[in-house]
Amino acid sequence: MERHDVVVTGVGMVTPLGATARASAEAWRAGRAAERRTLPELAGTRLAEARVAALPPFDPAERLGGRKMIRYMSDAAVLGCMAAREAAVEAGLRKRFRPERVGLFAGVGLAAPSPRDLLPLVRGSIDGEGRFSCRLLGEKGLAAANPLWSFKVLANMPPCLVSILESVKGPNLIFTPWEGQTAAALVEAWRAVAEGEADAALAGAADSAAHATTLIYLRQAGLLGEGDVPASAAAYLVLERAESARRDGWPVLARIARIEEAASGGPPDDPLAERLGRSFAAAPAVLLALAAQAPPAEVALRGADGRAFRAALEAAA
Amino acid sequence: MRRVAVTGFGVVSPIGVGREAFWDALRAGRSGIGRISRFDCGRFGVQLAGEVKGALDLPGPAAAVAAEDPKVGFAWAACAEAMASAGLERLDGRTLLHLGASLELFPVERVAFGAAPGLPDLIERGLEEAGRGERPFQVPLDAACRLIQQERGRAGAALVNCSACAAGAQAIGHAFRRVRGGLFDAAVCGGFDSMINPLGVGGFQTLGALTTDNDRGPGACRPFDASRSGTVLGEGAAVFVLEPLEEARAAGKEILAEVCGYGSTMDAHGLSAPDPGGDGAARAMRGALEDAGLAPGAIGHINAHGTGTHLNDEVEAAAIRRVFEGAWERIPVSATKSLTGHLIAAAGAVEAGACLLPLVRGWIPPNPWLRRVAPGCELCHAGGEAARFEGDYVLSNSFGFGGQNASLILRRADGRR
Repeated sequence: MERHDVVVTGVGMVTPLGATARASAEAWRAGRAAERRTLPELAGTRLAEARVAALPPFDPAERLGGRKMIRYMSDAAVLGCMAAREAAVEAGLRKRFRPERVGLFAGVGLAAPSPRDLLPLVRGSIDGEGRFSCRLLGEKGLAAANPLWSFKVLANMPPCLVSILESVKGPNLIFTPWEGQTAAALVEAWRAVAEGEADAALAGAADSAAHATTLIYLRQAGLLGEGDVPASAAAYLVLERAESARRDGWPVLARIARIEEAASGGPPDDPLAERLGRSFAAAPAVLLALAAQAPPAEVALRGADGRAFRAALEAAA
Repeated sequence: MRRVAVTGFGVVSPIGVGREAFWDALRAGRSGIGRISRFDCGRFGVQLAGEVKGALDLPGPAAAVAAEDPKVGFAWAACAEAMASAGLERLDGRTLLHLGASLELFPVERVAFGAAPGLPDLIERGLEEAGRGERPFQVPLDAACRLIQQERGRAGAALVNCSACAAGAQAIGHAFRRVRGGLFDAAVCGGFDSMINPLGVGGFQTLGALTTDNDRGPGACRPFDASRSGTVLGEGAAVFVLEPLEEARAAGKEILAEVCGYGSTMDAHGLSAPDPGGDGAARAMRGALEDAGLAPGAIGHINAHGTGTHLNDEVEAAAIRRVFEGAWERIPVSATKSLTGHLIAAAGAVEAGACLLPLVRGWIPPNPWLRRVAPGCELCHAGGEAARFEGDYVLSNSFGFGGQNASLILRRADGRR
């Protein structure tokens, strides 16, 4: 099968290091570390002192052109849509490619039900003796819940919102919940472009690990190592064939020389962890997006699922 | 490129556990839909679902997880049946494991307690339970893949596809492409799901996707019928083993069918409503036909996504008429959710398994509750009883919440090319 050269022509990021790809990359190159903070909703609990990586301020409505869709979005979806928009704009995705020929390949992290959405439902479902009652859930609890709650917890929604906002209509795959699954999505995006299944692909991930509900799970499951700080982050890249960038005279950020995902089995090894925080499903995409802005670069990561991700990026010819 | 054979199939469904029981029930038009027994649904608007009946024979680790999250047990059992029927004992580096699942279980009964619980209470209980070695509140979607690999060996890649109602079909379609292209020598692929829990049913009820016509009982899910009023949740799993056809033949394996075409698209339209023009659905079907190198007229039977919701059925019917223009009047269309309910992430895999009934046994599943075709849903619908099938190719549609579409084409094992 003929394989085309694949290049990166757009990157978008929202990370604790910066609200854009450029800001994140500059902070990374400068050796800066994300600010740490506690979560206000955990005050008074035994996780009150738990630190997460703080995100910089941003206005999603400004970045996404309106508030309408944001009502349906989880935290991860907001981050993912902002990162995807930035990447798509940089690559001129809408004006250069037919939507049917653009693929979407994404990783998503653990679903993180918002306590704001969940607790009214829970409280409405408890009987006079403090026990959960299915009957009360049916009578009162469901009515008390945010009716848009389901949209926020369905695992495929963050990337599907990206497809809607960026009008991506081609082949697609969405994997979950850890680093190895995002790595697989990135490899599939590269393959789809290299083998001609798509002319371009939006590839990336979003995870809201710095979220109260997720923090509880990570603690319960023992997935946070000594000194690990959870981070919410998202990164998307636009991949296309080298010849389409050449044809359109479009600037190329980097050429993907090698990209692979494989079983490894060792303990997690995330080079972003110390300064950016553990962003789990988002980490391989963040790593690749950082590298794409400073080629040549080789990146490697081993996730909580024991899967290894490696890629080599070259400067554009 | 290699041709790809289905050498193994396993299924856990509301109408039967195991492929023979499943196919028997499909052919007979037996519904697995009834009143929810898993929890007290007396005050829910939705009181019907397609539940898996009876206990599964699971090994200790799978049984322990399944006690909290039944879908993990369904995945395990379907996988065990599929691998046994293909004579595949172990996964290895040349095997792809790719399973679809939709949503992590979040057991509300474990987090709802006390007079007026807040987040601090929830955290205290969660960490106390973790200290006692109890399971976390959430069961991540990779739990089944991890368990299967612990027991059966590590796969070369183990993918957890969360593309909602298209997940199972996508898993099979992606695995088909990777075996066809030589990246893997075998694939264990499919989908598993259960939303039949208080939050799952409650969440879909809130979205307005489920019928509340509880008095209709087994006949409540009525795809394409004028009286349809929403879908019904089902649960279960289906797993396929795919291998290169020539190698499977040389090894003397039973060839159930071939997978020969796959199309994957997105609507990019809306979160819960399909593109009213059916463009994404039509492109998925066309993509599968092109992938298989077939003209539309080659398809002998279609298993529709057919949810029984107003919008989906009309859009799908219009898309089928457009893609199969000049041929749709003679291609029988079944909609097996009328019997199983909607298995969400498992739906595409279970329905690909339903497509094996015509290809292996020669019967098209009936659509028993279709009495009066709804305006806009005109197709050559399967009748109330199973009909003989003599074609070579079957197409299965899966269209997901969020706008993901997948179509698969399967071919009779001894069919003409």
